[in-house]
Amino acid sequence: MALVDQTVDGLAAGVMAPAESVAPDNSGERASWFQVAPLMVVLLLFFGLPMLVVLAVSFFDFDRTDIVPAFILDNYAELFRSEVTLRLYASSIKFALIVWAVTLVLGFNIAYFLVFHVRSLLWQIGLFLVCTVPFLTSNIIRMISWIPFLGRNGIFNQALEGAGITSQPLEFLLFSDFAVIVAYVHLFTLFMVVPIFNSMARIDKSLLEAARDAGAGRFRVVAEVVLPLSKSGIALGSIFVITLVMGDSFVVRTMSGGQSASVVSALQNEVAALQYPPAAASAVIMVIIVTLMVAGILRLVDVRKELAR
Amino acid sequence: MTRRTSEIRTKLNRRALLKGAAAGGAVVATEAIGGFPTVWAQNAKDVTLVHAGGSYAAIKEIGEQATKDLGFKIVMQAITDDVQLNRSLTQPQTIDINNIDSTKLPYLVGKGVLAAVPVAKYKLWGETVPLFTKGAYPNGKMASTQGLAPIEAMFYADKDAKKLAGKPTEFLTFIPTIYNADTLGIRPDLVGGRDKVTSWKDLLDPKYKGKTALVDYAPVGVMDVAMALESRGDFKYADKGNMTKEEIDKTIKIMIDLKKGGHFRSFWSTFDQSVNLMASGEVVIQSMWSPAVTAVRSRGIDCYYVPLKEGYRGWFVGLAPMAHLSGLKLDCAYEYMNWFNSGWQGGFIAKQGYYSAVPSTAKKFLTPEEWDYWYDGKPAAIDIKDPYGTIMEKKGATRDGGGIWDRMGNIACWNTVMDEDRYLTRRWNEFVSS
Amino acid sequence: MHGADGDHRPWTFYAFAAFFGLFVAFLYGPMIVIYILSFQGPQGGMTFPLNGVSLHWFYALVSQTRVGDIAGSFVRSIGLAALVAIITVALSVVAGLAFRRRFRGSVFAFYLAIASLIMPGLFVGLGIALTFRLLGLGTSWYTSGLGAQLTWTLPFGLLIMFAVLGRFNRSYEEAAIDLGATQWQKLNEVTLPILLPGIIGVALFGFTLSYDELARTALTAGSENTLPLEIWAMTTNVTSPTLYAVGAVTTIVSFAVIIVALSSIAAIERRRARSLTE
Repeated sequence: MALVDQTVDGLAAGVMAPAESVAPDNSGERASWFQVAPLMVVLLLFFGLPMLVVLAVSFFDFDRTDIVPAFILDNYAELFRSEVTLRLYASSIKFALIVWAVTLVLGFNIAYFLVFHVRSLLWQIGLFLVCTVPFLTSNIIRMISWIPFLGRNGIFNQALEGAGITSQPLEFLLFSDFAVIVAYVHLFTLFMVVPIFNSMARIDKSLLEAARDAGAGRFRVVAEVVLPLSKSGIALGSIFVITLVMGDSFVVRTMSGGQSASVVSALQNEVAALQYPPAAASAVIMVIIVTLMVAGILRLVDVRKELAR
Repeated sequence: MTRRTSEIRTKLNRRALLKGAAAGGAVVATEAIGGFPTVWAQNAKDVTLVHAGGSYAAIKEIGEQATKDLGFKIVMQAITDDVQLNRSLTQPQTIDINNIDSTKLPYLVGKGVLAAVPVAKYKLWGETVPLFTKGAYPNGKMASTQGLAPIEAMFYADKDAKKLAGKPTEFLTFIPTIYNADTLGIRPDLVGGRDKVTSWKDLLDPKYKGKTALVDYAPVGVMDVAMALESRGDFKYADKGNMTKEEIDKTIKIMIDLKKGGHFRSFWSTFDQSVNLMASGEVVIQSMWSPAVTAVRSRGIDCYYVPLKEGYRGWFVGLAPMAHLSGLKLDCAYEYMNWFNSGWQGGFIAKQGYYSAVPSTAKKFLTPEEWDYWYDGKPAAIDIKDPYGTIMEKKGATRDGGGIWDRMGNIACWNTVMDEDRYLTRRWNEFVSS
Repeated sequence: MHGADGDHRPWTFYAFAAFFGLFVAFLYGPMIVIYILSFQGPQGGMTFPLNGVSLHWFYALVSQTRVGDIAGSFVRSIGLAALVAIITVALSVVAGLAFRRRFRGSVFAFYLAIASLIMPGLFVGLGIALTFRLLGLGTSWYTSGLGAQLTWTLPFGLLIMFAVLGRFNRSYEEAAIDLGATQWQKLNEVTLPILLPGIIGVALFGFTLSYDELARTALTAGSENTLPLEIWAMTTNVTSPTLYAVGAVTTIVSFAVIIVALSSIAAIERRRARSLTE
């Protein structure tokens, strides 16, 4: 154990050793400002500004047909008082955690396969692109196609009954929490694969050899060498998956047949009824909560630290 | 009475119609409508109007025909309800002709985005069904005022378009175009026959547990359940279309219990979902729209739109010009709206099962057999096709529910937006998350 | 020992390959439904059973207007997606490079991007629409729509650049400088080529995220729909297997593009290998 640790630490330190020849001075900082400026300008214009508007609206008052500029905290108060809020967040977070776990397992294994078992770069890229082809078909079309796939008379049930595994169609396959999770996994696993793939590809293969030579078994190599070195990829993938699930309303609505709720789908109901202020308040709270979740992930794995040395 | 006078008027067109009838409605539909264009300005042809609305009305073909007949360009943009409402408020200049649903009107009144239509500008007012002009049926009976009835939604108090009048005035909120009576649809083959469902309360019948669906839209969904509860005798509502907080509470509570008991298989948020639910057999009884029934039938699957004892749920939509229109563009807008009700569109849309506000003009663009089937509720003398040529009904069948006034004359409640809308939204969210 | 450098593949290879195969099958499951149902007969609908077999819906895709404005919105979507991909790459790559140093405001910039990722698209769209209204500007798919989609793709691009740059070995850059390269040369001839796979990844993400985007674009596209908006609007009316035909055609086109791309990469690699041995 100690030997493997030492080997890993030593080699990893070498790989990650800062060979900083640019002195950290003002010109470097200025250069960074110039480089990050275009991105910031776009984000500030199209996100920052609108968000200030949304924030302002969250304090407005409203009745059935009018939105009255004001500064009241009622919208937030109601949000915190209402039991529905709790249930919505519980539902969304539940989905987020389950999907995160499943995509993590799937994503890790797929990335591992592509990096360590597929030899040629061409095959790696090819297999990866094969996985991305379904994404070029609009989400909506793919959501619609789940019904003939998982429905009572759908292909999957018919296959099961045909093979004799079941005698009745499985109802829970569609319009249920199960269907929602399946759809999420279907849509978001790739978001987990890409960052982990990136992290794994940087692992020096000689590290693995060294670990094996030091006597570690296959699983230990993965657990103690590959896993820790893929941490940042896992963290980024997790950030993607969790924000995508928490921010979704379309998938949960369609796949559960409108029977499961998410924070954003409830938001959507309010916006459809032109009830902007409470919806805005809800959106602000949601952003704060999910940003905290992301910050939590980043506390565990400081992605930026690995970048800026 | 109205029919007979129209018959006399259209006798002259009959010869032309019969020539076209052999080739189906499509040929009839390409005849230009007499009397257009009337806006004669030289630069009218440079005008482009954006007609935005649901894809059941903002159909590309209608836009193309209008462009052909009128000389200026009509661009159709199909958008969903919520986007339409929000855009009307936040980017009104991106829409010229608003295909507005009566229930969306209260949200937009007084916000300065819609313009009033002076009755004088609408040339077909005299031929519009009295349901919109007087709030009454052709036989003189007043229409139900539960929910947002036509008489309440159609008129502004004055030309500033700030308030609804609730009675006939000279300023219309919109030109009524399409309307229909909605009810429950069933799969007769899966429930054991067409006569098995006769009343709204059947929606909540335990024997359909796990095989029912509602529309995932609070004001309508809760009204459907209210109809069922009232028919079941649970309690009586003062106005199903405008419930009090207590009524909402009572209804939602029962809905939550039903949901937890697994009574609902799904809630559909798009029309298309409702069709698929029915066609695939996931659901055997559900709240759905007329063209959805048509769509299921045109796939060779039996679907029946049940004329329930207690009556239908009615709705109506129309065209409203946006407030930012002026001058030539506004004239063209009136021109277009008049054209819309002059028959071509009415004939087209009739085959989806929707009624035109001016049936007499729509009649000119339907074959007599189609008119008999769609409007008069007579047995089909020929195979009935949908607007795109697919056969959806065989010879001899009758339209579910009968003729126009058998159906429209039996409206229990109109689609609506309630005073307690805010409360309803909150409780609906609670219902969904339970 | 279990060397993976020999020709002999360990049993885990087959286990993983099988696992990967299952995953691809899972990904393509609904796609297969789409392919089968796109051959639906003229009377057929969006679900089984298959009512006859025909190419009817493929023809409908190019001929009928019943299917809405698929052609027009498709062209708009592709154009927008390409634009978004290019801008995302340009801005994210450069911004990613910025984060290699510590600079004041980096935390703010980072969390601004994260918040942009998290905020529900519905509100970004609403916010932009309201802002444009306040400023008296009109919305359209190539202005406000573009901006809205960028708020979605830029954070993705940035985070992917983090992943890519984290693996980047600086010694290459230092070697270049030691050999006398200018900053510009260093960037062009050392940094970017090494980052190329990552950059392509960002471009791919930017393209598909934009192409599929619905929530943000709904309120910012103005009077002309993009493809997802058009399809979504059509579902409020009856849809037809034409949508499935769209799916089938997109797949065929993407596979064609992939085959072309892979063959050209293979050809380049072969040429490079040849030139190395010459």
